[in-house]
Amino acid sequence: MKKLIALTLALALVIGGVAPALAETTLEKIARTETLTIGTRTGSPPFAYVNAKNEWVGFSIDLVEQLVLPAISQKIGKPIKLEKKESTPPTRIPLLTSNAVDLIAGTMTDTRARRDSVDFSITFFVTGAQFLVKKGSPIKGIKNIDGKRIAAQQGSTNARIIREKAPKAQLREFPDQPAAFQALLQGQVDAYTNDGIQLVGLKLKAPNPAQWEVVGDFYSYEPYGMAMRRNEADFRNLVNNGLMDGIESGKYFEIYDKWFGPKGELPYPMTAAVRQFMIYQVVPK
Amino acid sequence: MNYRFDWSVLWKGQSGEWLWLGLITTLGLSALAWLLAVLLGILSGALRTVPFRPLRALATAYVEFFRNVPLLVWMFFWYFGVPPFLPQGLQDWLFDHGLEFWAGVTALGVYSGARFSEVLRSGIQSIPRTQFEASVASGLSTFQAYRYVILPVALRLIIPPATNESLNLLKNSSVALTISVAELTFQTRQIETYTAKAIEALTAGTVIYLVLCVSLASVMGWVERRVAIPGLIAGGRRPRRGRG
Repeated sequence: MKKLIALTLALALVIGGVAPALAETTLEKIARTETLTIGTRTGSPPFAYVNAKNEWVGFSIDLVEQLVLPAISQKIGKPIKLEKKESTPPTRIPLLTSNAVDLIAGTMTDTRARRDSVDFSITFFVTGAQFLVKKGSPIKGIKNIDGKRIAAQQGSTNARIIREKAPKAQLREFPDQPAAFQALLQGQVDAYTNDGIQLVGLKLKAPNPAQWEVVGDFYSYEPYGMAMRRNEADFRNLVNNGLMDGIESGKYFEIYDKWFGPKGELPYPMTAAVRQFMIYQVVPK
Repeated sequence: MNYRFDWSVLWKGQSGEWLWLGLITTLGLSALAWLLAVLLGILSGALRTVPFRPLRALATAYVEFFRNVPLLVWMFFWYFGVPPFLPQGLQDWLFDHGLEFWAGVTALGVYSGARFSEVLRSGIQSIPRTQFEASVASGLSTFQAYRYVILPVALRLIIPPATNESLNLLKNSSVALTISVAELTFQTRQIETYTAKAIEALTAGTVIYLVLCVSLASVMGWVERRVAIPGLIAGGRRPRRGRG
């Protein structure tokens, strides 16, 4: 009996100790742990990937490190460390809602359906879906993929649009990009569809880049945003302010050039329209 | 946790249809893989106990090789590794006719076969050696002794652990989603993609797997009672005479 009481007391202590942690806000959690934990990708160059030197880097990671992290550190008044965790399209929302990560900074498209579950930052990159095919392939865009074997990434908006707009295509969905790309290289599928920017990156990584081409008009609009838990306005404002300060000061465009400029990892020059859109996202101080 | 549950995502829109398609694929994949696994398991399990060294070595090599490499690797092996060695015409035909499904069946069947084999071997080895010797002494060949005496008893003995392996096989079929087989787990993720409601979708998948496994276990339990030889096995529930 004594043992039972002791056990109950111990349990109560444990639960009591844990309960406040469950109720804390994201900012409180970051202040307590002095760490911002982001969910990002390991295989999506140049947004977030492990490079040849085995470093986990990328455009999205740079934005967090150089724009968002300073804003949070300043607010909390302590230097905040950055911790990176792997997140994939199927896992990223559960990772957020279970508090395993505080911010998704990878290649996540902001959609209205997703806004029911998570909040998004302002848009930090704009692209649209296209197809990666072998040079000379009859596939020229979403209009002529009927009966063709099309690989897509599972959980992506692209797979969903293909299913709706081209129901006769044989859609094959893979949980990660390397497997889908391998299937394309070996001919298991005729085309791989994803956001244009990612396809350009994959093409450059192919054993013989000249053999492959990115085709088709954008059949979707993919504004990338950073996702966070819902209804945390303080945290969301901090993230947005960091990004807006970066766009205003030009730092954002420097980072963009580092990855997508002529000498960048993946040349993908920003169009005038996108530049204007980025600037218009910045609300006055 | 400020998560808002919305269970209606499971019956609104196409969710029901997707779960149904996923269930059919999971059942088809598991059933075919199970047949392959049982065939390979009986063959190699029996061969591992025969009094002839080269056959034993062959069966041991199969078991150790296939059960000691992760299932995920086998999935990739049959899907990515094997096709390039096939003639171009056959490759194209396979690519157009659900290669991923057949690669999944093969991977799961061959892998589980190695595990079934060990279950059967333990069953055979629990039968007193004298039974085999008596069979041979009464004029049966080794094959006949296995076919008419050893295997019928061993297969009855191993039903509980074989049930275990069968349930594992059913649940392992979800690994096939890595090579784009649209089975049950894949479809629950699909619902999550469309609705951003992960916990509801996962719960639906979990309940379906649970129901499948419990049904399978009770069918196997029924089979066990049905085929039991009265008086052969001690303990536990005694077979009811006449009814089964």
